[in-house]
Amino acid sequence: MPLLKEETRQQQSKLAEYCKTGIVPELNGIIEENLHHYRRLVFNIGIDTIETAYPITYRFLPDEIWDKLVYEFYAEHKCQTPQVWRMPLEFYDYCVEKDIQGKLNLPFLNDLLYFEWLELEMHTMEDIPYPSYDTKGDLLKNLLAINPEHKLVKFTYPVHVLAATELEGKEGNYFLLMYREKESGRIQFMDVSILYAYILEQIQNGLTLHAVLTDADSLFQINNFEMLKEHALVFINDLKQRQFILGFLNK
Amino acid sequence: MQLKDNKYIGIGFRKDFSEELLDSTVLKPAFIELAPENWIGMGGYWKKQLDKAAEKFPISCHGLSLSIGSPDDLDLDFLYKIKKFIKDYKVQIYSEHLSYAKCDNAHLYDLLPIPFRKDAVKHIIARIKQVQEVLEMPLAIENVSYYTPVAAEMDEATFISEIVNGSGCNLLLDVNNVYVNSFNHKYNAKEFIKKLPLNKVAYIHMAGHEQISDTVIIDTHGEAVIDQVFDLFEYTTSLLKPVPVLLERDFNIPELEELQGEITRMETIVSKTWKKEHAIA
Ligand SMILES: [Fe+2]
Repeated sequence: MPLLKEETRQQQSKLAEYCKTGIVPELNGIIEENLHHYRRLVFNIGIDTIETAYPITYRFLPDEIWDKLVYEFYAEHKCQTPQVWRMPLEFYDYCVEKDIQGKLNLPFLNDLLYFEWLELEMHTMEDIPYPSYDTKGDLLKNLLAINPEHKLVKFTYPVHVLAATELEGKEGNYFLLMYREKESGRIQFMDVSILYAYILEQIQNGLTLHAVLTDADSLFQINNFEMLKEHALVFINDLKQRQFILGFLNK
Repeated sequence: MQLKDNKYIGIGFRKDFSEELLDSTVLKPAFIELAPENWIGMGGYWKKQLDKAAEKFPISCHGLSLSIGSPDDLDLDFLYKIKKFIKDYKVQIYSEHLSYAKCDNAHLYDLLPIPFRKDAVKHIIARIKQVQEVLEMPLAIENVSYYTPVAAEMDEATFISEIVNGSGCNLLLDVNNVYVNSFNHKYNAKEFIKKLPLNKVAYIHMAGHEQISDTVIIDTHGEAVIDQVFDLFEYTTSLLKPVPVLLERDFNIPELEELQGEITRMETIVSKTWKKEHAIA
């Protein structure tokens, strides 16, 4: 037998539901004129958290659309994380699941929301241990050690490059490299081409730069290894200077 | 909690002023309090700040999402994460609100009032015991401010006392919350405090609030502590053995001098009410 009686559980449930929807419930023995403070306090925490996480989307969407979206999210969705700062991810998942971008005819909305979430995620994500590496080695032949606190993301719209108002009709393949600087914790963003995204991904998969470039030369039908190598080394050296490429993996 | 030099007053550790606090020669709390929910699983810049703070100050934890009064089952995965955090940061006091923040499998991230009812008392006693078993340490539960009772069959003081006495947990006595509730629900704050299990008080909260109408005060933690709450604090501490005291300031953060002023005022009060040479639990 549960210790809590059904009647008590229902009272608690009704109050919680009211905080989510704002639809006034029948509750016993309450101070009616004070009830609305709970809805206000709960809803404000929710709104603030979402608006702080998605400032670009918030400014971009007309107020009435934004307000309706946030209202529906809070009323329909059951927030699962006990950590309120992680809740915006649930907002993103909700928008994807409900196909809000389809309903609003804004095909870049999911990308935009995800981009905004990633920025938060990169700032807060748990530390990942750095690999052990040497500072001297051969960029082509040795395995490269890269900053493990990074994400390489593909977007269909260049949400990381253009303002939200300029995204319409810009469908394509776009890649964003984000990484967290070790000392400062600052997040760096870098727009990369599909070729360089491929190179980074393969390096991450444990190939030497030489092997990656050999593959890429035919895969991308470049058929000019020396030229590819020259360009790739400029890119890789730049990443080394930025300390995204840390050095050479110790065996 | 091991506090030095008869200093008892700590401050809530907020990201808004963490950098200032870490370098501050102005603000000198005896310890800091933080919500484990805000820090568990966090890396990067903020993790570094937290680690620096942990080197400088003892830490107490004041949870937000355990939802001890919820009809839902306890979130044990989350509780184990709290346990690990408590161990990692050598936390000696873990407190939670006597309220619920999750219901029907949805977190609300705020503190809802539990019906003051006999069945709720039994339900919560069982849950507190479960939490204490998992954590292998006592839980301190806090009297919360509330703006309406719901389906009550007993008064608030009885509700709190029965839960504390029945579960063997400690009490975090929030003096400002008593003041806020005594105003909103028109009772005598001192009489209320006398009815609580004062031998179980392990920790005190002090905070500011905002009066929004003739009949309602909202517990905002965004204003300075008012004189009447300092007075109630003096009265309360005169009835208690020495325990750590926490100044909560979550919003509308003023200059650190102002916060230190409030801390100093509390230190002055307890230097009278608690005299000297009490060892702190
Ligand atoms: Fe409090």
